[in-house]
Amino acid sequence: MPYISFLIFIPIVTALVALLIPARYTRVFPWLTVGVNILQVFIFILMVIHFKVDGSLQLIEKHSWITLSLSSWGQLQAEYLVAVDGLSFPLVGLSVVIMLIATLSSWHVSKSRKGYFALLLILNGAIIGSFCALDFLLFYVFFEFMLLPMFFLIGIWGGPKREYASIKFFLYTLLGSIFILIVMIGLYLSVQSPENSTEVVHTFNVLYMQNLENFIPGSVLDATTTGSWRLWAFVLLFIGFAIKLPAVPFHTWLPDAHVEAPTAISVVLAALLLKIGGYGILRFVYPVFPDGAVYFSDWVAGMGVVSIIYGALNALASKDLKRLIAYSSVSHMGFVLLGIASATTEGIAGAVYQMVSHGIISAMLFLIAGVLYDRTHDRIIENYSGLASQMKHYTAFVLIAFFASLGLPGFSGFIGEVLIFFGAFQSQSLNNLVQMWMPIVATLGLLLGAAYYLWTIQRMFFGPFAVRANFAELNDLTTREYAMLLPLAIMALLFGILPQILLDYINPFAESFTSMWFSLGINANP
Amino acid sequence: MHQPASITSSLAFVIPEIILVVSICITLVLGLFLKQNKSAVLVLVTGVAMLTAICFVVWNWPHQPEPIFAGTLRTDDFAAFFRVLFLSGGSLTLFISLQKESATEYVILIQAIVLGACLLAMSMHFATVLVSLELVSLSGYVLAGFAFNKSSSEGSMKYFLMGSVATACLVYGVSLIYGITGTLDFSSQQFVDTLIQSQSGLILIAAFLILAAVLFKITAVPFHLWAPDVYQSAPTPVVAFLSVVPKLAGLVLFIKIVLAFNLFGQATLDWRVVIAGISILSILIGNLSALAQTNPKRMLAYSSIAQAGFLLAGVATLDLAGIHATMFYAVVFLLMNLLAFTTLHFFEKWKALPTMAHFAGLGRVAFIPASALVIALVALTGLPPTAGFTAKLLVFSSLWSAWADSGLTVLLILFIVGLLNTVVALYFYLKIPYYLFLKETPPGTASIKISFTGNLLVIILVIAIIWLFLNPGLLMGWINRITFVL
Repeated sequence: MPYISFLIFIPIVTALVALLIPARYTRVFPWLTVGVNILQVFIFILMVIHFKVDGSLQLIEKHSWITLSLSSWGQLQAEYLVAVDGLSFPLVGLSVVIMLIATLSSWHVSKSRKGYFALLLILNGAIIGSFCALDFLLFYVFFEFMLLPMFFLIGIWGGPKREYASIKFFLYTLLGSIFILIVMIGLYLSVQSPENSTEVVHTFNVLYMQNLENFIPGSVLDATTTGSWRLWAFVLLFIGFAIKLPAVPFHTWLPDAHVEAPTAISVVLAALLLKIGGYGILRFVYPVFPDGAVYFSDWVAGMGVVSIIYGALNALASKDLKRLIAYSSVSHMGFVLLGIASATTEGIAGAVYQMVSHGIISAMLFLIAGVLYDRTHDRIIENYSGLASQMKHYTAFVLIAFFASLGLPGFSGFIGEVLIFFGAFQSQSLNNLVQMWMPIVATLGLLLGAAYYLWTIQRMFFGPFAVRANFAELNDLTTREYAMLLPLAIMALLFGILPQILLDYINPFAESFTSMWFSLGINANP
Repeated sequence: MHQPASITSSLAFVIPEIILVVSICITLVLGLFLKQNKSAVLVLVTGVAMLTAICFVVWNWPHQPEPIFAGTLRTDDFAAFFRVLFLSGGSLTLFISLQKESATEYVILIQAIVLGACLLAMSMHFATVLVSLELVSLSGYVLAGFAFNKSSSEGSMKYFLMGSVATACLVYGVSLIYGITGTLDFSSQQFVDTLIQSQSGLILIAAFLILAAVLFKITAVPFHLWAPDVYQSAPTPVVAFLSVVPKLAGLVLFIKIVLAFNLFGQATLDWRVVIAGISILSILIGNLSALAQTNPKRMLAYSSIAQAGFLLAGVATLDLAGIHATMFYAVVFLLMNLLAFTTLHFFEKWKALPTMAHFAGLGRVAFIPASALVIALVALTGLPPTAGFTAKLLVFSSLWSAWADSGLTVLLILFIVGLLNTVVALYFYLKIPYYLFLKETPPGTASIKISFTGNLLVIILVIAIIWLFLNPGLLMGWINRITFVL
């Protein structure tokens, strides 16, 4: 069964079908979308059953897509190649769950529902496609395909400054993807497929790009070529994904996009789109350019540390609840970068774990901000106090989300961060990629994280009840909101208490990832 | 010298062009006598003529390189490819114009331009180049003024004056070349031999004069100044046509002449540097000027200048792969530019659109044309899932490999400038979708009625653009079999 293709194309086809339904049947569209989401959850469960945990690629689907013979420079070959492994499988699972919750949270969208849900479905397919594609061209197509729906979703259904935010988001991410495109063109023209020895076949297959033997001797990106452009290629590709991640100083699109996007889209943006940045670094940048990764390891780790501290400081200074959460995302994604930079098994596993965990927790955080915004249309922290006395259930979920996010043991965030710190501290003695002082500085980020969350709780939820905003009634959570928050809270706890559930998938990937580095002789001589 | 082929035996190779000439005559006569359903009948007659002509060209595939009419024209696959392209562009334009009352002259002029472009694609001799280029140009000047208002006449006049200067340059350049080589046949051995031997600076002057006239047609920088005014004032279907057929005809001529002057790589001047320079300038100036535009047609004019840069980028490699990529780009460019102007035309017929702000909220009242326009603009930007992306990917791949082979830095600069300009381009292309969908519909906006044929045409173009993205193999396989010999 082509499970992955079903996951990718069922939403896209449904979106096209939805376009044919007259817009006046407004009730059809959310039900249709949620139906697709539930179907995806079932498909994912089937995938879990069929997934063999042995560190190899699973559920591979391979079909030829574009084969062009190009007179003087051989053949161009792009395939429809999708598969999952320990890196992408948890992220696909995350996507399926988050998209379901995003649909639930957009139940009451009132403006052109047809367009909204059609775009949400397209976005859904494109995100899963990006996580599963192992052909660079296919990945790039899905990657770009996310931008247009996102542009409209932020720009039409967003907050007051939505137009500015959506254009900024689109331009920034496109700049990143152009960097990726530049390297992609260089890469496929430098790599030949080992399947065909009679003729030069330029392939987009990422697995072939990860093997230095497949590079055409003397080509621009071949490691043995003198004056090779590999380091430049590493920098461009890395920046391309760092914009998406986002790492400081490429993060400036994020606060605007997050603050202006409607709740469901903020959730998707934080929980899934940012992960594509981290995923891209782990799938493309590091395995294809290990030499660049070693050369620039200080920069990568340093960028991670700066993101951790700078994001946390900004969060501390934010007056808007959503902006605070947005900056906390920058801070948490900095940990991912630090873990990746260490290139140790623990660090890599921690980075993947942190991505999944941040996906769950940030989704919760944005939903929480959305719940409040739905009621009062105001997100300024200082306009609230003593909410705990009025909204008890809500406060409980806020506490869970905040504590999970600041890395309290027992929640998933803790496991990810601890693993990253293990990796980062080991790195100096093991492969000398990350200096000891960097994780030491990064621990300051944990402290700051605790500070801004606890301070927010103190300001908004404790003390006498007062709200300085226009609102009709401050009700506690509805059933629908429960249905969105509860699964996420359970997942955050579950992955915090039983990390083995996830690590069983992630570890084989992290081990093969680092062993590949050993085989390249990079870790051997510190 | 080629064996002089007799005129009668040559006629068999230009049947598509003869069909066009006959169709022009028929339209002329019919136009005099028809009273009712005039435009429908005229469009039908010409449409059938053009489709028959396309069938003839395709039927005779592959075309053996055959000098005809005493070596002034030559049939080959390269020319045949573009003849099909021009004829398709012409028929699609007539299909758009079906909407309005098409005067006899209008239909005739469009056919004349297609005829000129087809002859241009086959020209191997400066005399035929001159004649067919003038056929294209003179008809174009008249068409540009076809709105019969003040600004349209002004645009037409500007186009005519500047175009005349361009022609004068061409004639002067050709006369210099004739003086140096003693032949006007730029595919002949005599031409190549004398140019290799003489190596005089005069050749460069002549070459630049000739290429200036050609670049004027392509609207490449620095010969682009007429385009914004003409595009803004001419009727939109005419602009759609002028931005595609004469431009691509110019491109064909440019490829031929530049390859001739390149002398198989033995020229004193590295023409790749020149073309790459023009291409960089066109992309930069076109895109940066487009940023400031508020009129949609003017914006598309500047975008089409930038597109000229992308069309030339593939040629800058001066190798087969680059020219193949350019041919692919040419097809996609024809589709996406026609789609953009067609949808724009639908909106304009319904309401005047002097600025892009007038598009506000129209996406909600006219979903099909609005989304088609967005797809056209996404394709022009070069984003997947449209053929615009595939075309750019192929052009830039050929640039990369040409750079990797030659180490010519200017090609790398072109590669990077071209790709980074996608971001700039997105900013101004995005303005239209921004107003169409993100802005509120002004109150009292009636829904737009687009005819069935109009929607059909738009949908066909959209499908073609997406299909060429999903499956570029078929077209590219066809292009790949076209070997190009001068």
